[in-house]
Amino acid sequence: MAYFMVVLLDDSRMEKIKGTDLEKNIKYMFGGELRLLEVEVNEELKDKILAEFETARVDSRGAITDVPVAFMRELFNQVAEKKSLGPEVVEGVLAKVNEIKELAAKESEYLPPPEIETE
Amino acid sequence: MSRLLIERPLPHGGRLVERVIEDKKVAQKLWKSCKTTYEIKPTLHYETGVPVRNVYREIMSICYGFFSPVEGSMKQAEVERILKERRLLSEWIFPYPLIFDISKDDLNKLGVEVGDRLGLTLKGKPFAILDIEEIYEIDPEELAFKTFGDPETNPEVVREKFDKKHPGWVIYRSHQPWVLAGKYTIINPPKFKAPFDRFWFPPRKAREEFEKRGWRTVINHQTRNVPHVGHEFLMKCAAFTGDVEPCHGILVNAVIGVKRRGDYPDEAIVEAHEAVNKYGYIKPERHLVSIVLWDMRYGNPLESLLHGIIRQNMGCTHHMFGRDHAAVGEYYDKFATQILWTKGIPSFGFPAPPTDVPYGLLIRPQNMREFSYCPTCKEMAYSETCGHKREKLSGSFLRGMVAEGVQPPSIIMRPEVYKVVVKWWKKFGYPFCNEKYVINKEKELEVELEDL
Ligand SMILES: [Zn+2]
Repeated sequence: MAYFMVVLLDDSRMEKIKGTDLEKNIKYMFGGELRLLEVEVNEELKDKILAEFETARVDSRGAITDVPVAFMRELFNQVAEKKSLGPEVVEGVLAKVNEIKELAAKESEYLPPPEIETE
Repeated sequence: MSRLLIERPLPHGGRLVERVIEDKKVAQKLWKSCKTTYEIKPTLHYETGVPVRNVYREIMSICYGFFSPVEGSMKQAEVERILKERRLLSEWIFPYPLIFDISKDDLNKLGVEVGDRLGLTLKGKPFAILDIEEIYEIDPEELAFKTFGDPETNPEVVREKFDKKHPGWVIYRSHQPWVLAGKYTIINPPKFKAPFDRFWFPPRKAREEFEKRGWRTVINHQTRNVPHVGHEFLMKCAAFTGDVEPCHGILVNAVIGVKRRGDYPDEAIVEAHEAVNKYGYIKPERHLVSIVLWDMRYGNPLESLLHGIIRQNMGCTHHMFGRDHAAVGEYYDKFATQILWTKGIPSFGFPAPPTDVPYGLLIRPQNMREFSYCPTCKEMAYSETCGHKREKLSGSFLRGMVAEGVQPPSIIMRPEVYKVVVKWWKKFGYPFCNEKYVINKEKELEVELEDL
């Protein structure tokens, strides 16, 4: 099975990859309302992610989900920095695994809410 | 009138149980007649000590009639009958033992006997009385196993032996070994805190509300989740059942109780469902959000039976059931609930569906699969109708999106629903239930009590 991780693209992330080749790889779901990139994950990296993060799981499509938010944030940073969707992206994230785990520990109790108007 | 019209069903057992004293003078007199008092304690996980249940929720649901015809903590013979054939001593079907359990130490300290009246306090205030008819001992582990069944005894639907990874099994395993059996009466009705207060429709009030709205047929949607658009379509489309016309009303009934980490907060769940009608996705004249207090046992087919009882008592004519209804893990067959309601489960005491056995239910099951977005049809499509490849949305994918702070597209989650999630996220500092929320909730509960 081929594994992958989904990087969601909101407006601010779209800004950061503007003009790069990554734009050609954008996938659209839900009638074009959701934009995303799929990062390739090989068998070895998949096992590493599952070993490092106990919440992580693989869904029926082969997508790796339920990793800490800090992981997902770094995943986008690596995509933008390396301008790639290959396995080196997840390798780059895993190189910072300790830093991510530290952030994740804090994130299990607090996550900054988005800046939108509520009532 | 057409013979095809479906009438609002009688409560399970024929009449609504209502054991709530509103008259303060009567209540004070009853309170004074108590031999002694006991402060209700949360049931703590038998290994970790984390709260897993609070019996106050059962007392509330019994006394307000959600669990009619159950009137109190069950006697030993009744518990045994339930475990054998899921029937009360009065013959009416019922899935779970419900008991008032205390430790040996507490029993000794109380010094109560059969015939005594015990005053129950909650958060230090008088709450209810228990008229003791029987005192007996249980083996919590045996109770836990027998409550849910096992692959040998219930081969039709049980796939795995239950263990401590199952939260419902843990609830029974964590019961204290001594039981005080007898009827409960609430003598000091608790007041729900906002936002729960406006969603409190106990069976009598729910039935009155249906009458006022002209809802003869009502379909119930069971929830413990913030609604995404898939849920919204499930509700709208399941409501096309009914009799000669679609159901007049859709009742959302949210189960409020002990939370697990990663669930959405109860406050967000009820207000998010309300946003569905407030902003017209289903117009408020046809949609009502309500709550019931219950610490979920996740007993899939057994839980669906309890859900049927609760919603029939509230006056619903139909009940939606999905795949893996109220399930966790792989203990039961994915379609165990559908098997119960279409064929029955003989080993659980149902040679026929619960609607087709004596002393059974009147509410009609509406078994549903799921809705997801079809890029070809360009709409939310039903899994059993649309012949295209649809874009399935897993719950964990959506939760990941929310946690990352990315607003889901409105075809996945309505913007007003998302705003409710963010509103409570700001309040609790977290979009889901974290440890602090779970512990605080069991300390504060959903209610306040005044002095008597
Ligand atoms: Zn289609």
